[in-house]
Amino acid sequence: MLRDLSTRYGGWLLMILITAATGLFLDDYALTVAASTLIYAILGLGINVVVGYAGLLDLGFAAFYAIGAYVSGLLILKLQWDFWLTLPAAIAAAAVAGVVIGYPTLRLRSDYLAIVTLGFGEIIRITVINLEVTGGPNGLTGIPPVSIGGNEIVTPQDFFYLVLVFFVVVLAVTGLLARTRLAFAWRAIKDDDRAAEAIGVPTRRAKLLAYVIGAAVGAVSGPLSGAQLGTVDPSNFTFLTSLFVLLVVIIGGMGSRPGVMVGAVIVVALPEALRSAGDYRGLAFALLLIFIVIIRPQGLWPARRRPLRVPAETTPSEDVEQMRAGRLDVDELSRSFGGVTAVRDFHLTLDAGEVVSVIGPNGAGKTTAFNCVTGVIEPSRGTITLNGNSLRGLAPHRVAAAGLTRTFQNIRLFDDMTVAENVLVGRFAHNRTMFRPPSHADLDTVRRALDFVGLADAADRGASELSYGDRRRLEIARALAGEPRVILLDEPAAGANPTEKHELMRLIGRIRALGIAVALIEHDVSLVMSVSDRVIVLEYGQTIAVGEPAEIQRDPRVIAAYLGMPEDPEPDLVAEVVR
Amino acid sequence: MSDFFQYLVNGLTIGAFLSLIALGYSMVYGVVRLINFAHGDIFMIGAFAGFTVLTTIGVTGGMAIPAVLAAVVVGSLATGVVGAGIARVVYTPLLKARQLSLFIAAIGVSLALSEGVKLLTGARFKSYPDALDGGQIMAGSVRVSYAQLVLVVFSVVLMAVLWLFVTRTVTGTAMRALAMDRDAARLQGINVERLILMTFLIGSVLAGAAGVMYGLYYTQISFGMGFLIGLRAFTAAVLGGIGNLPGTMAAGVLIGLIQSFAAGYISSRWTDVIIFGVLIAVLAFRPSGLFGERVVERA
Repeated sequence: MLRDLSTRYGGWLLMILITAATGLFLDDYALTVAASTLIYAILGLGINVVVGYAGLLDLGFAAFYAIGAYVSGLLILKLQWDFWLTLPAAIAAAAVAGVVIGYPTLRLRSDYLAIVTLGFGEIIRITVINLEVTGGPNGLTGIPPVSIGGNEIVTPQDFFYLVLVFFVVVLAVTGLLARTRLAFAWRAIKDDDRAAEAIGVPTRRAKLLAYVIGAAVGAVSGPLSGAQLGTVDPSNFTFLTSLFVLLVVIIGGMGSRPGVMVGAVIVVALPEALRSAGDYRGLAFALLLIFIVIIRPQGLWPARRRPLRVPAETTPSEDVEQMRAGRLDVDELSRSFGGVTAVRDFHLTLDAGEVVSVIGPNGAGKTTAFNCVTGVIEPSRGTITLNGNSLRGLAPHRVAAAGLTRTFQNIRLFDDMTVAENVLVGRFAHNRTMFRPPSHADLDTVRRALDFVGLADAADRGASELSYGDRRRLEIARALAGEPRVILLDEPAAGANPTEKHELMRLIGRIRALGIAVALIEHDVSLVMSVSDRVIVLEYGQTIAVGEPAEIQRDPRVIAAYLGMPEDPEPDLVAEVVR
Repeated sequence: MSDFFQYLVNGLTIGAFLSLIALGYSMVYGVVRLINFAHGDIFMIGAFAGFTVLTTIGVTGGMAIPAVLAAVVVGSLATGVVGAGIARVVYTPLLKARQLSLFIAAIGVSLALSEGVKLLTGARFKSYPDALDGGQIMAGSVRVSYAQLVLVVFSVVLMAVLWLFVTRTVTGTAMRALAMDRDAARLQGINVERLILMTFLIGSVLAGAAGVMYGLYYTQISFGMGFLIGLRAFTAAVLGGIGNLPGTMAAGVLIGLIQSFAAGYISSRWTDVIIFGVLIAVLAFRPSGLFGERVVERA
């Protein structure tokens, strides 16, 4: 245990001790620069939550810095509050601002988000310059030094140590945060937020939390900066500040906390060191920046993550063996896009332990029907119930939580995460607690799901390293980890070779044996006919036949519409070319 | 009431060159998904190139009109070369890297350009030769200066040419195809790299022309001028639905009008708060901009 702790945190301890020791040897000027560097590092840890973890590009992070500084400064100057009392107030104000800016923008694509945050940053800056209460362009002056138990912290050295303590606390808090389920949700969102939502991650809430937490962390630097300078100067919160804060994480390495320290040194301390370059300082900094991005786009100290500790053996449990039984009823489901009716009067009943397949030519409306059922698109008409509870109008993650999970036609895994981590994210459909590390039950289920599809040996490999067939199976494991009642498989055999198709057939049989209802979209007729209890045939959005496989294979309309035609046009094409 | 029309005229003028700059953001974003942060500085380089031409030729006597024409041509060619050159040297190697790397590189280029010009020309404002000096038309009590007329007419012509190019030529069609799907475009035999450079070239040419016009209109330029104008133009590009060229043009004019009316009726100190406030409000309700965009996403 002790050894474990030392390998895990030894690097940090060493880094902090070295930083603390350097403080003894620096002159006042260097100490001031060092304190500023640490203040930027705190800002960096804040924006690292938003940009590094959740992948939401924020170009106006200085706004939270400003809010922290002004709230604290005004409370001290106008209401004679103590520095320490203003801290929670500053943090709370920034968190509220995080909600204000986060909430209306959650639907936006990330680049639009960037410009909105930029606009927000400018709005805050211009507002404090224009208002009288904030001191206009002059800002606030006369902020007293921090006092601890009656002792005022005035020397640069004391202040440096004060900031270092703050930095260590923030570092520890963000370190704990990085181990929670929320952090896994963020990484999944960063990779593919729609897939994350569809398998049960409450993406909007997770994004909003990223804003709020990032803002709260970043706000800590505001009061510190006020105490260091004795003033709050609006020119410290320009767009350039936001850029420099962003550069701290990008130069250091996105999502990497040691990287933030390295980045802060380069962004704050390096320009100071370049003072000898005189007028060429800005240009040199700019060229260096371009150089770093080209040579080392992943950052100077990229994030290194510990593999998830999946148990070697699973404790036997009823959870997976006896899944919750479910019955899915879809009735008169229709969806039109403009004048085109993609699905008309789609009807599906699916009981626990059944396999129902939906087949039809490309464009028949199969995936549209699936997307309506899973809440990805809103149906124009119809009812969808699971065990009698309506699913219609629910957000996709709520549909998943209700017990209906899915895979995607064009495999959507989280490629920056490992195999086990991908499956772990699937657990959100079962339990969406955020502020704790993955539980034993989570890890146990991950292990069982991986065993189930035969990927246990690949647990710590990157999802992107897997072969095509394994990626398909990983998607199924991820959907199973949410302990669903119903699982929707969208063309799981697409692109699979005969052996893989055979394995898949057996896998579907075993999923059914667990008592899970399986809905399958598939083009491979032999696979469909051998695993299905019932088959639904779609053409141009209409259901043209429903029945047992044997009936379907004899149905003349189905043969005309689908089965009779070559499943794949290419053989004909080849034949024509040869002729 | 005459105030209103005066603000309208001023707003249209500002909108004209904001549109020109916004188009560059929009086009580049369309093909490489990059918020080209350095675009505002390209605009600034155009202003300085034009400044050099005007002061070299001189604007006295009959030289004013030829000098202005030369300034616009040289200014836009210079920015075209700079813009495409930067794209070739800095952005092309990063096309396969993560989006964010490209964006950070653009920030670096932006800083490098403004710092470079500062080193060459000094930090002080330069006053632009008043080539179109004083001339104006009065319509009632509304004043329309020659500079404004030239600026608006010239912008409209440039945008019309761009529109014809994009919709009527093979290269323009290829460019639109590239914006929709880079890989599919490549498979159709389109030389993607060359076309990307061409997009940067065209965007930069427009920005360069806008830079010269800005100088003629405001008669003051500095190394840092690209930042704020670039920000407003970029806002226009987003508002118009980035990648949507007619939408971008319209939004550029809209931002110009907002800027002018806000400055006139409220206070120029609050102009940017209003511009960004409108942006946030619009995006909150219409997440893909006022006029939509053509980004296809598959479920």
